Amino acid sequence: MKAILKYFFLAVGATIFAYPFLWMIAASLKPEAEIGGLGLWSSSFSLSSYGTVLTKIPIGRAFLNSVIVSLSTTTSVVFFGSLVGYALARLNFKGKQALFVLILFTMMIPFQITLIPQYIMIVKLHLTDTYPSLIVPTMMSAFSIILFREFFKGLPQAFIDAARIDGCNELKILFRVVWPLSRPTVITVAILTFMTSWNEVLWPLIVVRERSLMTMPQLVTIFTIGGEAESLLGLQLAAATLLALPVIIAYAFFQRYFVESLTSTGLKG
Amino acid sequence: MKRIAHTNIRKKRADRTGYWFVLPYVLFFLMFVAYPLGFSFILIFHRWNIVTPMEWIGLKNFARLVVDPLFFKAITNTFTFLLIHIPLQIVVALGFALALNSNIRFRSFFRAIYFLPVVVSGVVVTILWQQLYAYDAGFLNRLLTAVGLSKVPWIISPEMAMPSIAIMATWKNVGIYIVLFLVGLQNIPRELYESASLDGATTTRKFFHITLPMLNPTIVVVLVLSTIGGFSLFIEPYVLTGGGPMQSTLSAMLYIYNQAFYFNHMGYAAALGFVFAFVILIVVLLQRKSVETEPTL
Amino acid sequence: MGLNHMHLTRFFFLYAICLCIVLAGCGDSKQSPSPESPSVVTLTYWPAPNPQEIQLADTLVQRWNRLHPEIQVRMQPIPVSQSTEEVLLAAIAGKTTPDICSNIWPGALHEYTRSGGLVPLDQFEDFASFVGNRTPQELLKTFQSTDGHFYQIPWKTNPVMMFYNIRMFEEAGVREVPKTYSEFFAAAQKLTRDLDGDGQVDVWAGERDIRPIWWQRLFDFYPFYIAASGGKTLFDLGNPAFGNDASRRVMGFFQECYSRGYFPRTFFQGGDPFLLERKATHFSGPWQVAALQKLAPHIRYGVAPLLVPDDHQGPVYTYGDYKNVAVFSTTQHPRESWEFVKFLLTAEHDLLLLEITNQIPVRGDLLTNPLFAGYFQRNPVMKRFAQQALATRGVDAAPDLKEILDGISQEYEACAVYGRKSPAVAIADALRRTQLIVEWNR
Repeated sequence: MKAILKYFFLAVGATIFAYPFLWMIAASLKPEAEIGGLGLWSSSFSLSSYGTVLTKIPIGRAFLNSVIVSLSTTTSVVFFGSLVGYALARLNFKGKQALFVLILFTMMIPFQITLIPQYIMIVKLHLTDTYPSLIVPTMMSAFSIILFREFFKGLPQAFIDAARIDGCNELKILFRVVWPLSRPTVITVAILTFMTSWNEVLWPLIVVRERSLMTMPQLVTIFTIGGEAESLLGLQLAAATLLALPVIIAYAFFQRYFVESLTSTGLKG
Repeated sequence: MKRIAHTNIRKKRADRTGYWFVLPYVLFFLMFVAYPLGFSFILIFHRWNIVTPMEWIGLKNFARLVVDPLFFKAITNTFTFLLIHIPLQIVVALGFALALNSNIRFRSFFRAIYFLPVVVSGVVVTILWQQLYAYDAGFLNRLLTAVGLSKVPWIISPEMAMPSIAIMATWKNVGIYIVLFLVGLQNIPRELYESASLDGATTTRKFFHITLPMLNPTIVVVLVLSTIGGFSLFIEPYVLTGGGPMQSTLSAMLYIYNQAFYFNHMGYAAALGFVFAFVILIVVLLQRKSVETEPTL
Repeated sequence: MGLNHMHLTRFFFLYAICLCIVLAGCGDSKQSPSPESPSVVTLTYWPAPNPQEIQLADTLVQRWNRLHPEIQVRMQPIPVSQSTEEVLLAAIAGKTTPDICSNIWPGALHEYTRSGGLVPLDQFEDFASFVGNRTPQELLKTFQSTDGHFYQIPWKTNPVMMFYNIRMFEEAGVREVPKTYSEFFAAAQKLTRDLDGDGQVDVWAGERDIRPIWWQRLFDFYPFYIAASGGKTLFDLGNPAFGNDASRRVMGFFQECYSRGYFPRTFFQGGDPFLLERKATHFSGPWQVAALQKLAPHIRYGVAPLLVPDDHQGPVYTYGDYKNVAVFSTTQHPRESWEFVKFLLTAEHDLLLLEITNQIPVRGDLLTNPLFAGYFQRNPVMKRFAQQALATRGVDAAPDLKEILDGISQEYEACAVYGRKSPAVAIADALRRTQLIVEWNR
């Protein structure tokens, strides 16, 4: 009896969290007049809302922009994060401890303070409406450095010593020896960075005004709140679905990694 | 002897490599952390629209801030949000975590579903909820009228709009906290419950005397992250309500955004950012002080 | 040792490459200028982005380019994604301004000149004679900047007036076009109706966008305030001066429109309700005429002056949405740009402006010059706007006018739309916020 109640509770929860998404996808395929309906089925499903969205806004280009920006950011954050994390965990140099404290400190600076000056810097460097304006300010992250450092610290010294005796330099050790041992951390940092970058919308709204350079969430936001969607719900939901699909598909495949990576953000608190 | 010399050389080399390895970050830090921090400190004493030259105005930005009704509106709105969002989040996350923390089939399936809104962009969630919250033809109001209840002015009434955003934000973020609570629950040693059972403790008693105190660190995490999230709230009101009706959903971040990028008041926006950051610090410290306990074993 | 150094160099090289890959995107967005023969001067001209003005600009630019092979003008409509003011300020910041723009709103001129973005036009020796022939002197004076220079030439104005749907008036039994608030309420009582008997109102006496967007106030509160106050603007000698009876009565008027249900309290979705014949009156400028002709030619409508308090005396003033022409200081060819500006403003092209866009050129001889007579004969509605054009006021060239209007919008929302404040409190609060902004700007 208690078990049934428990499953019922869990199933209600699952409905609350999943049904809106199903409803959104169904509604984006329905004609405008049927969208208010509570159910999913319609006898007149069509892709016409998608067709209109594709002709009204350059969403394909926006998708490409988002992929370029997110991939570059992720690659850079993983590369530099492991580089600095390795130096902090495994190398000796003067000021190491001070740098570590500094990095911990940067994690505590709320972005409310740095947002405006960062924007002004992008303007002064004439980087507005460019890819670098979207990528460079997030090329490195203190959090990823800390994650890598914590993981690298736990690796047995013997592996590294062996490699050093074989004459490997530190860079080779990092990428040939340490990296293969750190897959979980690399994946965590990569997923975390990719997700954050993909979903970021405030920064692009600020530094990109040119439509052809807009990221996908930005373009969809502007499409929805600007007049272009003409208050048509079908169009807004179709645009939202297009924005959600890549992440949902990725999530379907790598669900476990997503959950583990994102909850690790909670552990830093 | 030879070996020692060898390691010494190694060590020296490692030294220099260390500098090379951290150099990119140091440059990045100088450019994107140190410089903005320093510059924003200069900015708060200026009036500047980026285009015309900066004008030194001393403490005028702060003089304006302390009498700016919108600044206080943004603060009280954020507290309204937190007051609903945090308890709701803790109760919902704890409820589902407790239900999942037993011998349950499809556990990872349920967990995956609850986590789904976390991975999807806030823009998607907001556009979706805009339809759910719509007054006349929205999903929720149709559901309410279908079961014989009256419509709720979710986002069109100044009293309901912020609570509605808090509910939406809970729906979006609670997945993380379900998982965090689940981890916390699984780390509670079984023996604690067993010995309590031997002492004849009821389930409720066990919950309040073992489970909750043991989850204290997780609750602190939820508090801190939600508070920071509340002060960073932007895209939800930006898309859903534009800050209205009657400024009831004007968030701290939305007000900074409006001042900086709508009215071109970079100095005033920087001053707002500083003060909001200070408020976050105070609130988080107070929360930690009042909620954080040493785990009692 | 040497080996290690080489590795470090290689490593440095590696991240230099990474950086290059990342920065490569930079080159994409910048277009290299197309090779042209050096003797040809190219000017860039930004008109407003609406279809009619693009068509007008296109026609004018083609004419110009035919006549001046050595000065070619390239027309680029201002991007639609943001307001013209945002685009222009960003362009001034990035030094990417065009040579000429014909969509300068006087309320924002202060910001452009403060940043040195504009060329003083009175430096050209034929400025006074050319502009003096077109625009009456006393009107022109209101566009002079505080440093004594002219950075803008008033090009066109769009007096805000009341459009009304004749069929809806007839069907509701409204025989006379209301002139005062009480006359409007009497008419609105009949005009606001439930047509299909389902208990829901389907057509309204009027409607305004309920969202507190600052420029929306230029079509309700602000022109009504100019009308009620007999031609006053928000400021007097640089000080906020709207804390008076006129502003409170205007606020009260709109509050009643909503509380009595004559204006819908929801955000109207699905297009312009006046074009859809869902509202009987509409406060708008002459551009609405073109939209009506194009999108709803079946609608019979009339145009009347704005509503005023019952005891109002004298002429009914209104807000004229001026759009002016300016030359930017980034231009390499000020003289050629000035020539193009004069070309835009000839009587012949002012006629074209009327014909294509239905907007009123700021000309003293509009109703007397025989060149325009034919047009006004064919378009009697436009004649009403041309007559009203003499009794228009613009906006004050106050710093942060946008934020001041935003503050008024907040109060309009709280007082008029939601009825949560009395008009007196709303005006007092708006005045306090304005004062705060003015003080901060001193």
